[in-house]
Amino acid sequence: MNVAVTAFEENNSTQHERVKLLLVDDDPSNLIALQATLEPLEQELMLADKGEDALRYCLDHQFAAILLDVRMPGMDGFETAALIRSRKSSRHTPILFLTAYRSDEQLFRGYDLGAVDFLFKPILPEILQSKVAVFVDMHRNERLLHRQTERVAVAERRFRAVLESAPDAMVITNETGIIELANSRTDTMFGHVRESLIGRDLRTLIPEWQPATTPEAGNGPVSNWSGTAPESRLTALRHDGTCFPVQITRSIFDTSGKYLFTTAIRDATEQVQAEARIQRVNAELEKRVAERTAELSYSNEALRQFAWAASHDLQEPVRTVLAFSQWLSTTGETASTKDRKRMLLTIQSHAARLHELLGGLRQYIHVSELGVTAPREASWTLVDCNAVLRQVTANLQDLIDENQAVIERDRLPFIYGNDILLVQLFQNLVANAIKYRSASSPVVRISGNATDSAWVFSVQDNGIGIDPKYHEYIFGVFRRLDRGGGAGMGLAICKAVTERLGGKIWVESPPEGGSIFRFSVPLRTEAEEQEA
Amino acid sequence: MTTESVRLFVAEDNPADVWLIEEALNRHSISFAIENYATAAEAINAVVQYQDGTLPVPDLILVDYNLPTGHGGEILAAAATVARLADVPKAVLTSYLQPREHKAALDLGAKCVITKPAQLEEFMSEVGGKIAELLRARDAESIATEQPSRG
Repeated sequence: MNVAVTAFEENNSTQHERVKLLLVDDDPSNLIALQATLEPLEQELMLADKGEDALRYCLDHQFAAILLDVRMPGMDGFETAALIRSRKSSRHTPILFLTAYRSDEQLFRGYDLGAVDFLFKPILPEILQSKVAVFVDMHRNERLLHRQTERVAVAERRFRAVLESAPDAMVITNETGIIELANSRTDTMFGHVRESLIGRDLRTLIPEWQPATTPEAGNGPVSNWSGTAPESRLTALRHDGTCFPVQITRSIFDTSGKYLFTTAIRDATEQVQAEARIQRVNAELEKRVAERTAELSYSNEALRQFAWAASHDLQEPVRTVLAFSQWLSTTGETASTKDRKRMLLTIQSHAARLHELLGGLRQYIHVSELGVTAPREASWTLVDCNAVLRQVTANLQDLIDENQAVIERDRLPFIYGNDILLVQLFQNLVANAIKYRSASSPVVRISGNATDSAWVFSVQDNGIGIDPKYHEYIFGVFRRLDRGGGAGMGLAICKAVTERLGGKIWVESPPEGGSIFRFSVPLRTEAEEQEA
Repeated sequence: MTTESVRLFVAEDNPADVWLIEEALNRHSISFAIENYATAAEAINAVVQYQDGTLPVPDLILVDYNLPTGHGGEILAAAATVARLADVPKAVLTSYLQPREHKAALDLGAKCVITKPAQLEEFMSEVGGKIAELLRARDAESIATEQPSRG
């Protein structure tokens, strides 16, 4: 008869978790008597009528205690006990022997096999109950302890796993900064072997590290002293002596009176680089805005000056044409033929003058920033300045021949720009060099030299020269140094062209006489070179 | 109206305008002689010549504002440095002046700024009238200052 008996109501088991007791006796009546005696303990009772069954139960169940009859046919109690003891899972299960004989030999053998007690038949129920109750309690406590230990171990494993999987170096120190625990990220970040870190001061890794304030230190209100201290940016030291920026987050926790500090360390190298990059970009942006603003206010001022000059200079011939045509129409017969003819010539010359001014104006607007709608780079290419000069010489062939002028040209560079604009620029300068000639026949020398940042071209002549006080004046719109022909736009156009090329134009009066007009064209930066 | 010929210093690069000024003076029955300078540089050069006291000073200085090599303000500034020209009335005669140039001209000693009218008749009355007015004012002043010595 080997039946497992659930002796008690389920509802009792919630209060006290039931434990299992194994009762082994070859005599069924004894088993029934034991069962009846132990039922009030409200535990789960399992019954076996031979040693083999008892052993089998021991494979599948953990018992708080085993009550084992010594004298059984076949495998007796001692043999059974020896086998129970030999198994790892049941090595410590308390065994109480039930016997009818008090023999010292039996007692010794029993205790030798690990018996915890002997109960002599006839068994007194109260004694049996109280003895077994002790083992039930013991077993329960043991189980509780085991579970708690297990729970702690799981928590510890979990904590380690979290620590190891953290993207940051995590270091736990005591109050003085001595490292008690560090994750593997710490080794790789600092280049130390982890074992060598334990017991070392965290300040050997981060010299400026300070423990978070403990409540006892009383440094102001630390409302969340078991929480997190604000992040701070510090400098850390690798094993090889190199430095790198880190972002640390500290927290503190109280372990029954002893404070532990957790420091999460994040390598901030990339962050610092990114910040520096952002700062650089911002600075560059601000610079560009400032430059653009300056450019705009410059072109606004230039536009204003231009508008005044244009309105004034265009007004003059119109007014003259109007006044003289009125005069001519009202004077009738009273004026002499000579005067009337002179009036007509005046009208004609001023109409022609107006035409000339408008032509110059159109040309100026075309080359200057004022008329630019498309991006300036749209038609920019690498231009051979030698070809530009050949074109200019061809365009000015009549003027050159008339004056028997000599054009000397050094080998000129290729520059990045626009050939139409460069032809206009050189043509105005060369034409001026010939027109404002002295008594000797004109010699015009053109050269181009590189400086650190720009090409500087020069057009030198042996002409009448220009008084230094007009060196700036002549580059304005409608500016002339004599009352002769010309719209007074030539050098204004040259200035507009050089400005569109990103350069400057100026004139020098060399001691040997004549003039040297120079203009610069900035070299392209590497960045621009790459963009192209 | 004075029958004596007045001497006019005219800085003006447009010969047509010089002719119009002459016509305006004729219509106001002012007999005149004009010294014409066509660039600012020439006019300034002429102005400083009066310093040494040999040349007779003009009765009126008329300057156009926009001239080759410079502007009328520079001529007025040069004239202001010549003591003998202190009592000579000066005026700017121009197509149009920016407000700040207008103020600068008055600060530099111009009695007035005459804007050249576009219509012929207006030019005649405005320019001729202003010149006559300036000459009359000058005469009145010189009489006022000379009278005691005559007495």
